Amino acid sequence: MNYYVETILVYAGVDIIACLALNLQFGVSGIVNFSFIVFQAAGAYTAAVLSMPPDTASGMSFQHYVLGLQLPFPIPWLGGALVGGLLAIPVGVLLLRRLRSDYQAIALLVLSVIVNTVITNYRPLFNGAAGLSVIPPPLSERIDPYTATYQYLYVGITFVCCLLVLFVANRIVNSPYGRTLRAMREHELAASALGKNLVALKMTVFVVGGIIAGLSGAILVGFISYWAPITWLYPETIVLFAAIIVGGRGNNLGAILGGLLVPLGFEEITRFIPTGFGPPGLGPAIQWVAIGLLIIGFLWFRPKGVLPEPRRVFNEAGIEESPFMEVRAS
Amino acid sequence: MLTAREVHRHFEGMRAVDGVSIDVLPGRITGLIGPNGAGKSTFLAVLAGTLPASSGNIVFEAEDITALPAYKRARRGLVRTFQLPSEFAQLTVLENLLVAAPGNRGESLLGALLGKRYWLPDERRLVERARRLLNRFGMSAKESDYAGTLSGGQKRIVEIMRALMLRPRVLLLDEPMAGVHPSIVDEIATYLESLREEGLTILMVEHELHMVERLCDPVIVMAQGKIIGQGSMTMLRRQREIVDAYLVG
Repeated sequence: MNYYVETILVYAGVDIIACLALNLQFGVSGIVNFSFIVFQAAGAYTAAVLSMPPDTASGMSFQHYVLGLQLPFPIPWLGGALVGGLLAIPVGVLLLRRLRSDYQAIALLVLSVIVNTVITNYRPLFNGAAGLSVIPPPLSERIDPYTATYQYLYVGITFVCCLLVLFVANRIVNSPYGRTLRAMREHELAASALGKNLVALKMTVFVVGGIIAGLSGAILVGFISYWAPITWLYPETIVLFAAIIVGGRGNNLGAILGGLLVPLGFEEITRFIPTGFGPPGLGPAIQWVAIGLLIIGFLWFRPKGVLPEPRRVFNEAGIEESPFMEVRAS
Repeated sequence: MLTAREVHRHFEGMRAVDGVSIDVLPGRITGLIGPNGAGKSTFLAVLAGTLPASSGNIVFEAEDITALPAYKRARRGLVRTFQLPSEFAQLTVLENLLVAAPGNRGESLLGALLGKRYWLPDERRLVERARRLLNRFGMSAKESDYAGTLSGGQKRIVEIMRALMLRPRVLLLDEPMAGVHPSIVDEIATYLESLREEGLTILMVEHELHMVERLCDPVIVMAQGKIIGQGSMTMLRRQREIVDAYLVG
């Protein structure tokens, strides 16, 4: 497999998983998690330090980090997912319980900036601004990561993770629990007055989203073997929000489409913007302008996205007629 | 059934509810009227737990619920509707009703993850119940419409049906006829009468006095955060200060 194609496929998988997680939080539940990237980063750092040897080991002394447990696959990925979920608990308790949703969004954005600044400036934890490099790819002790077999394997594992996350996301969205989350998104006060515990609802979906975000970070770091604060600045979250808005918020298929169109499509399409003119850095700047215009354009002309949330219609037997349902009417 | 004693609600010195005590009698529709800014909706919100009381006590079916959050009060059977339309706009009418219904095993994260086989029997039972309610309120044809696309009156009916899905013991209605077409006002009144005949207890804030006269007994009058009178509408019309404060206008 061509390395370019492999890279595209793995990036697509990571973006799809991240978009499915953010769709659960933002698209379905209405939680404007502007710190989403922090949870992806937590998963990435965890997977990195669980799979790397101790920083005192030969050849590693150029960087400093905690743990360095050199654990075999899939423990680093599971650890990344777990830490993403665990991190969601204190953040959720602190920010989701008492604040109104618009203030929650601001607080989460500020959290994203603070965490990035701390990690950048505190070297003993994850090597500061320089970040972690030479992170061992999963299973690299058994299969040479530079072979075609390994490339197929990594794409395959990423694909399986995508299917697993889609399965979980579909189960949530197409259930009474998902319906309650959508009701909370539509009118929090009314949902509360109908006996819904908003704090519990927000916390559970925040933790589930954190777990999936952590997994996406673990998959990405295993592939690129490098992770530093520059890779998870807060605007990365905005790209994922753009993906959900473009794809169709509240719809898992929309999240997948958005994941393919925005983070991946834009990265690849804007690569062809000529670079021989204008000041240095014009290309990336144009990328961000295009992302912003895309969000504004969709919110203005097609606020429900390319694939809007489907209407839920029930048949005579009282069963919802909807795609991706596991059980059909008997 | 539902009693409030010396309930206060202050907003930075402004006394929106100022020592209100009431007894909501079972099986009746109690009216709560008063001029704008009298504190009626605030009092209703305090009863429902949407707003915490600054002081005072609220007892519901022999249990002090003053410290309980809104969702716990709703689960105990004290359910409210809102002054402004509060439908779940991007959910269908049937879904609006299903959201409110308790007792669906698929409503927890674990239940959802276990899959449809686990919660489908509950879902079918609740769909059937919701459809009976839609039929009773003449809304069956709107079952699959988004609630956000309904008229103001239809939204009010959806809110009442949604509250009924919880099998409430006491229903707190905040201006259920506000902004509703006159033909639907009469329809809503008829539904409320039938609910009263079935024994449901209702406390209703309302400005349509002819409807209050038709439906409510007793009627409580509030002004400036306090109760200034209560009794039947006929009786209240004879009291000079109440007529001056509210009934003439």
